[in-house]
Amino acid sequence: MSIKGKCAIIGYGETEFVKSKNSGNRSNYTEQCNAAKLAIEDAGLDKSDIDGLIAICPLDQKSSWTMDLVEYLQLYPKFLDNLYFGGASGNAAILYAAAAISSGLCNNVLLVGGSVMDTKQAYEHGLEDTVDFERDFDTIYGPMLDNSAYALIKQRYKYEFNAKEEQFARVVVNARYHASKFPNALLKNLVAVKDVLDSRIICDPIHLFEIVMPCTGGCALILTSAEMAKNSKNKPVYLLGGGQSFDRGMWTPVYGNNPSITTSPVKLAAKQAFAMSDLKITDMDFVQLYDCFTITVVISLEDIGCCEKGEGAEFVEKTDLTYKGALPLNTDGGQLGRGQPYGGCHFMHAIEAARQLMGRAGELQVKEAKFGLVNGNGGSMANQCTLIFGNDIP
Amino acid sequence: MPGNEYKKPLPKILPETEEYWKAAKRHELFLQKCKNCGQVIYFPRIICFKCLSDELGWFKSKGHGTVYSYTIIHYQIAHKSFESDVPYIYAIIELDEGVRMISNVINIDPFKVKIGMRVKVIF
Repeated sequence: MSIKGKCAIIGYGETEFVKSKNSGNRSNYTEQCNAAKLAIEDAGLDKSDIDGLIAICPLDQKSSWTMDLVEYLQLYPKFLDNLYFGGASGNAAILYAAAAISSGLCNNVLLVGGSVMDTKQAYEHGLEDTVDFERDFDTIYGPMLDNSAYALIKQRYKYEFNAKEEQFARVVVNARYHASKFPNALLKNLVAVKDVLDSRIICDPIHLFEIVMPCTGGCALILTSAEMAKNSKNKPVYLLGGGQSFDRGMWTPVYGNNPSITTSPVKLAAKQAFAMSDLKITDMDFVQLYDCFTITVVISLEDIGCCEKGEGAEFVEKTDLTYKGALPLNTDGGQLGRGQPYGGCHFMHAIEAARQLMGRAGELQVKEAKFGLVNGNGGSMANQCTLIFGNDIP
Repeated sequence: MPGNEYKKPLPKILPETEEYWKAAKRHELFLQKCKNCGQVIYFPRIICFKCLSDELGWFKSKGHGTVYSYTIIHYQIAHKSFESDVPYIYAIIELDEGVRMISNVINIDPFKVKIGMRVKVIF
């Protein structure tokens, strides 16, 4: 039984993203509770309608966060989960919630993530959140959090495919262009290719502007059955396909199985999502790709099938990726333009897809958008979840 | 070095990694090999990731490999004990025995490191 078209996003909410240093009195609770409140209101539901919850645990909280949130908000879910595989968790949460709704476990699932995140906290987390083998066979060599991991992928990519820095920089230019027009974005100033190349190198070959900025914020959305979505006040955004792939073999330090770190599990995840949806890449009116680093976007574009392996860098250079272009990419500015609130960022891309497909994207609206692809990436490209949405069921 | 305390992170010795670290102390790089299917294994495990056999043996690596990828770390804010080493190389080394490992490339100007460069293990 496929879950194609069985569920829909009917509402979403996002708190105002702010730089970590401006967090003031905000907390993990303000971000997740306020985002949840906005999403429930937007969906036209009452809190008592929520009978499922998946919350992303903030980095500085215990994994019991989800059940604590149930108590905090006095929710009464029949379905509860707490996913923890990095940036792929948000899309996976949507997929699992859809499976739960389709099988009759619950009706309206609240999906929420967000936190107060400052760079120091992220670093400290990076030091503590380490499993034995990572600590003993990786940390001892001095990695620089995710930056060095993605730098290894980018360096290898450049070597295999002769990609140019100017091409990667185009991803940032595009993100900042959209962010400059998006109300809830932190990095609103436009940048040129040269600005990206002039920004300092953190882990060669990754420049500062190619890295997301951790920030404070929260995002939530409501998934419901397609049946109930018919009466929704918003245009339902149907989940048409989903697929996941996890391949730790490609990443540190579990090497051996995967022949290359430049091909990602996005390939299998997207293949599965397209198969479920009966759609193909050329049917997509936009793509929202998890963009923690520029290399993530380039490899994801290849692995979802926009171009051949090794042509991604050239593709971003030659394609108009703006909301009015041939392939609109990260039309809200993505994380590279808006900032990365941990947990919230897991849902940002799906929310932007919903915004577009509900026709609420304002100036950044992709004309006549019907179908869109969203990819979530985590674990330095080892964890992938691809979703396909549409405002119609083909 | 007497008087110079090692400030960088140290591994925690576990039952399944003890042989590895004992060998490292003797300046030998040890790898595991599955007695059932022959799979070479790094990092040390209690079970073969290919066939799930727990019959694993140890052998000494020739210690030669190739730089598979690398990064020059210019800013190190996470692990303070490496801060004074920048710029330094953090790399994936593909050993001739077929496994990849994270390591540093040292005794060379970091800006001269290239993918495909031959390296050998030192301790």
